[in-house]
Amino acid sequence: MILRIENLIKTYGDVKALNGLNLEVKQGQIYGFLGPNGAGKSTTILSTLGLIFPQQGRIELFDTEVFRDGKYDESSLVEVKRKIGYMPEHATLWEFLTPLQTLDMIGEAFGIPKGKRAERSEELLKLLNLWDVRNKKVGKFSKGMRQRLLLAQSLINDPELLILDEPMTGLDPSGIAEFKGIIRELNREGKTVFFSSHILAHVEEICDTVGVIVKGKLIVEDNLESIKREFLRRAGYTIIVETSRPVSFDGVEWKVSPLGEKKYRIVTPGDIREEIHDFVASQRAKILTMQVKEPTLEEIFLKMVE
Amino acid sequence: MMWGFRLEFKQNLRTKKFWVIIGIMALLYIPSFYIMKSFFLQSGREITNEAAMSMLISSITGMTSFFVAILALLIGATAINSEIEKGTLRIAMSKPIKRLHYIGGKFLAHILVLLIAILFSTAISIAGILYIGGSLTSQLVTDVLLLNLLLLLAMIQLVALGYIISTLIKSATTALGLALAVMFIVFMIVPSMVGFLAIKDTMNNPHTSMEEVQQIQKEYTTKYLFYDPISQVKVITADVSTMSSSNSGVIRNIRYNGVAYAIRHNPTNLAHILWLTALYLIIGFYRFLRMDLR
Repeated sequence: MILRIENLIKTYGDVKALNGLNLEVKQGQIYGFLGPNGAGKSTTILSTLGLIFPQQGRIELFDTEVFRDGKYDESSLVEVKRKIGYMPEHATLWEFLTPLQTLDMIGEAFGIPKGKRAERSEELLKLLNLWDVRNKKVGKFSKGMRQRLLLAQSLINDPELLILDEPMTGLDPSGIAEFKGIIRELNREGKTVFFSSHILAHVEEICDTVGVIVKGKLIVEDNLESIKREFLRRAGYTIIVETSRPVSFDGVEWKVSPLGEKKYRIVTPGDIREEIHDFVASQRAKILTMQVKEPTLEEIFLKMVE
Repeated sequence: MMWGFRLEFKQNLRTKKFWVIIGIMALLYIPSFYIMKSFFLQSGREITNEAAMSMLISSITGMTSFFVAILALLIGATAINSEIEKGTLRIAMSKPIKRLHYIGGKFLAHILVLLIAILFSTAISIAGILYIGGSLTSQLVTDVLLLNLLLLLAMIQLVALGYIISTLIKSATTALGLALAVMFIVFMIVPSMVGFLAIKDTMNNPHTSMEEVQQIQKEYTTKYLFYDPISQVKVITADVSTMSSSNSGVIRNIRYNGVAYAIRHNPTNLAHILWLTALYLIIGFYRFLRMDLR
């Protein structure tokens, strides 16, 4: 197991940011960590990296316990951090440094020899289209260039686990597409990617496993298809029926609208196939068409949050 | 530790506040030495080594300590919170580096930056003394080095106090404002008030000699301004030269004792600087080691 979080609790004053969070990330996964703003995504990531102090719980990284009940084992944490790359949300890099100097400095923190640092920096800057601006100060970079450099610094140590906190925020569509391609490629190389976002379309296209956190608790953790299947049960139906009797339903949230003589459109909020069956039998109605409205991930997400 | 040191040192040398303070010091020093030279030329007097040292001490403990103290407090007060705001601290601490090593490296870098500022102003002062006509003796060099060390200790205390502010206040701008307010109220207004009280208390007796006034001022500063390292340095350096005056208050003789003598004769003041520095550092470091970097 690459990452295991058990019953993690973190409060900021009266606010419970993490409320008994349990989470597991397996080797080779691209794990999408979804949740609305303030759900606890960044708190989870910061706890994993030892940057904040949860009050309770347990964190294991690469099968090494690094945190238990309010205390980090700093030596173990430092050791496992050698295998981790982290790209934070809303961060700037040292503006007085150039990309080459930035990567050199970060590489030095990992104890990478100077020659190897230079090689790796060149490789990454070329991969992320920053080679032409390698000697330009980061302070003069655009948002997109900064994001790419943030990704580059997270890769300098060739990490086994890549933790990305809202990595595509602020990127334009071509930047997002490029970013996704890089993440897929890294995953193909065998890297595990833990990737938080509130932009569901990003997760939908690249993550094989998704966890949804709401109010500091993981409410769903499964592969995308299973989650979709689960929510398909809650899908809405649009049925057009033919019946000689007027259609009316009391106490049910069905929207019924006449479509001409003896025809009605019934729109239902969820899976009511049994009720429809009962209705058809009792009313001697005939189903003309029945459409299932498959929810988008956005809708699934909203339903979960509700 | 050296990783944090190199990063912080580079960063500090590129900050505006460092160069602005250095620039202001240079701008103030140059005309003051020009005025002093005019004074010596007009009076026809020659500058002695003792006079040169006294001038050096007064310029270093006066102007330098004031500006470097502001620099020290500002560096300390924005050391951590500004990095949290920018996000660079999260990046740095996500690497395999222990928190203690990181803050330790930062601290070393801050010491070096302050030392550079102090040495810079000292170099200007020495150049000024040579310009006026003084000569560079071995005692002057030794005393200047000792004085710089003493001043550096005092500045370290202010950096450490800044660390506490930086770990308590999340916004770097607010911390900067608070540090300036602390500097102004606690390290400028309150010492003036204490100095005034000391003089007021001696005025009850019209026969009080200058030495007695100085003694009472020293006692008050040691007792009430124990938290102010600049005041403690001033108490110590006051003993570098001893003045004796006649009953009418006219200065008869100035004896030069040296900085080492002054430090030896004021152990309480040195102890105040040392114990508070240690206390502030322990609190500042502890808070950093236990704080949420968000």
